[in-house]
Amino acid sequence: MFYAGVDAGSRTIKVVLIHDADRRVVASGLCAQGVRQAVLAEELFQSVLREARLQRNDIARVVATGYGRNALDWADTTVTEITCQAYGVRHQVPHVRMVIDIGGEDSKVIRLDQQGIVHDFAMNDRCAAGTGRFLEIVADRLEMKLQDLGQITRMAEHPAVISSMCVVFAETEIVGLLASEASPANIVAGVQNSIAKRILSMVGGKIEGPVVFAGGVALIPGMSLALEKELKCPVEIARDPQMTAAFGAALIAAGQKSKVNAGLDHCLLGVGK
Amino acid sequence: MACASHGSVVRGDSPAAYFQAQVSNSLDYIKLHKGHGARVVGIMCEYTPRELIMAAGGIPVCLCGGSGEMVEPAERVLPSNLCSLIKSTFGYSLEKSNPFLEMADLIVAETTCDGKKKMYELLGQQYPMHVLELPQKPDDPDAFAHWVRELMKLKIALEKRFSIVITDEKLRNAIRLMNRERKLKRGLAELMKCEVPPLTGRDLLDMKSLVACMPKDQLQYENALKTLPTRVQDTSAGQGVRVLLTGVPLPHGAERVMDIIEGHGGVVVCQENCSGIKPVLEDISEDAPDMIHAIAAKYFHLPCSVMTPNTKRMELLLQLSREYQAQCVIELVWRTCITYDVESACVKRLVEDEMNIPYLRIETDYAPSDSARIALRVQSLFETVSARGSSQESSLKGCCHD
Ligand code: SF4
Ligand code: SF4
Repeated sequence: MFYAGVDAGSRTIKVVLIHDADRRVVASGLCAQGVRQAVLAEELFQSVLREARLQRNDIARVVATGYGRNALDWADTTVTEITCQAYGVRHQVPHVRMVIDIGGEDSKVIRLDQQGIVHDFAMNDRCAAGTGRFLEIVADRLEMKLQDLGQITRMAEHPAVISSMCVVFAETEIVGLLASEASPANIVAGVQNSIAKRILSMVGGKIEGPVVFAGGVALIPGMSLALEKELKCPVEIARDPQMTAAFGAALIAAGQKSKVNAGLDHCLLGVGK
Repeated sequence: MACASHGSVVRGDSPAAYFQAQVSNSLDYIKLHKGHGARVVGIMCEYTPRELIMAAGGIPVCLCGGSGEMVEPAERVLPSNLCSLIKSTFGYSLEKSNPFLEMADLIVAETTCDGKKKMYELLGQQYPMHVLELPQKPDDPDAFAHWVRELMKLKIALEKRFSIVITDEKLRNAIRLMNRERKLKRGLAELMKCEVPPLTGRDLLDMKSLVACMPKDQLQYENALKTLPTRVQDTSAGQGVRVLLTGVPLPHGAERVMDIIEGHGGVVVCQENCSGIKPVLEDISEDAPDMIHAIAAKYFHLPCSVMTPNTKRMELLLQLSREYQAQCVIELVWRTCITYDVESACVKRLVEDEMNIPYLRIETDYAPSDSARIALRVQSLFETVSARGSSQESSLKGCCHD
């Protein structure tokens, strides 16, 4: 049997299909988020199915996650992205104790206990300053592509100091830095440091490793280094970091039939539709 | 706790139904009695000694604002970074739209948090106001004596203002009435200890009273106590994750977080806050030799975060979490409420290290813009409760490792 996880995030939608025997990913896909998110997600789901040469009824269960999860009425249940992210990353790094997830419009720090269950989490969701959106705005200002941002940080000699806690004010600060002829490399490095600092403040007290970095921003070179510097500990980048929450959702879909997960099942049935 | 296992309560005949008309019920009551010479006394905190007011022929009525609509007018005068409760309460005064406030012959308030204290100054420019100085070091031997003196001063002030004499007999009567009300409310709250509680947390919250000791309210409480233990909610509604809610109070109109919790699979079995069980836990001895002293003691024992250190709150939380078999603790903090916010670090530690259950802190205000985000946090908390439950049952580590 096959299972699917759909992560309807704020900027992108991701779908992951797994096989229940070994939890192997058989196909996955990603598309940009839009107004008709239920339709977009379903189209993506269909195209991933085609890629895997599977039919809809080969999929035993679909779990939806992400901020748009409740809009996907064709999914069987919904699970929060916090739980899904933890499950997805834990499958890759079994003893993971902290997941840093920086996505398009929010960032999260999820702490796991020794059993691999979410212990607590912190979220930055009122302001874009610690999220991927911040990097997008900077890329825009510097007239660069988002993917290329990381490359140039290697050339940073004196990363700029960006102290504004608000993305709008930070943008003003960047305009000021450009006017005073700070190099784009130094500006981007400064922005990455400021995101890392925000994450550090969300982490709060003591850090127990392994620390794994997931979410779309983990793909941008330099970001994990900036985090390591602030957190003063090794930060491992998740495999396919954009897909881990969708992968976790698929794992939960596969696990829901088993007794082991009866408790979570109960909860999910309670909160799902 | 013995609970019935059959039957159901439909919303219409829920004991909470009567309380939907609470504002107009209270207004009718107050108008009637004001017509007969009773004095209306506005209060805004659970430290206010209601018995003294009642002994002076006053009707204590809660003025705390729960409406988000009153925040905007308040911000024309008050700074925006002040808690919604303070702004909403004050906003009503600017808009003249709280009938209880407009009818008040006096407001009795205390020096609790800085925001309230300074707002009272502004309110005092428009309405007659008596502010009690609340000492804030509960363990200091001088503090209680000071509080007793403050109550003595209030007694004299009430006597002078209302041209009456507060006799021991009147005080004793007021104590009796308030003890009875507290007992009824405690009884209702304790119904939530049941494995399948006969009420939702929201029902219980709705059953609070705006006016102290209104006979009609008390009758409803009595009836509810008679009928509820033999009935249960339809089981799907009653079997949620058991939540102990703590932190700031939820005044009338500000029940949003309660609804989010209970709309996503939780049932708030205990409310350790000033709109919940906290103020009704302790009674006053009806035959105390010095009644002012006895009244002062009851109120002074209230473990609010304005006290330092506030160790009694931690003890109370621990006790309540056991009695009500809480599966998690959710702490509500109105944004910019410094005392509860800072103290939440102690609560988190207590919950995680001593109760060994998950803790979630929700910081918000009266604006509904973050409801989806709060729901996400709450759902995630419940998923953790559930995952922990199943991992304990099976000692397996979850679905990915089976
Ligand atoms: S929380 Fe503190 S300040 Fe607020 S009503 Fe209760 S006792 Fe008064
Ligand atoms: S919630 Fe906090 S800030 Fe607001 S009135 Fe109560 S103690 Fe003061």
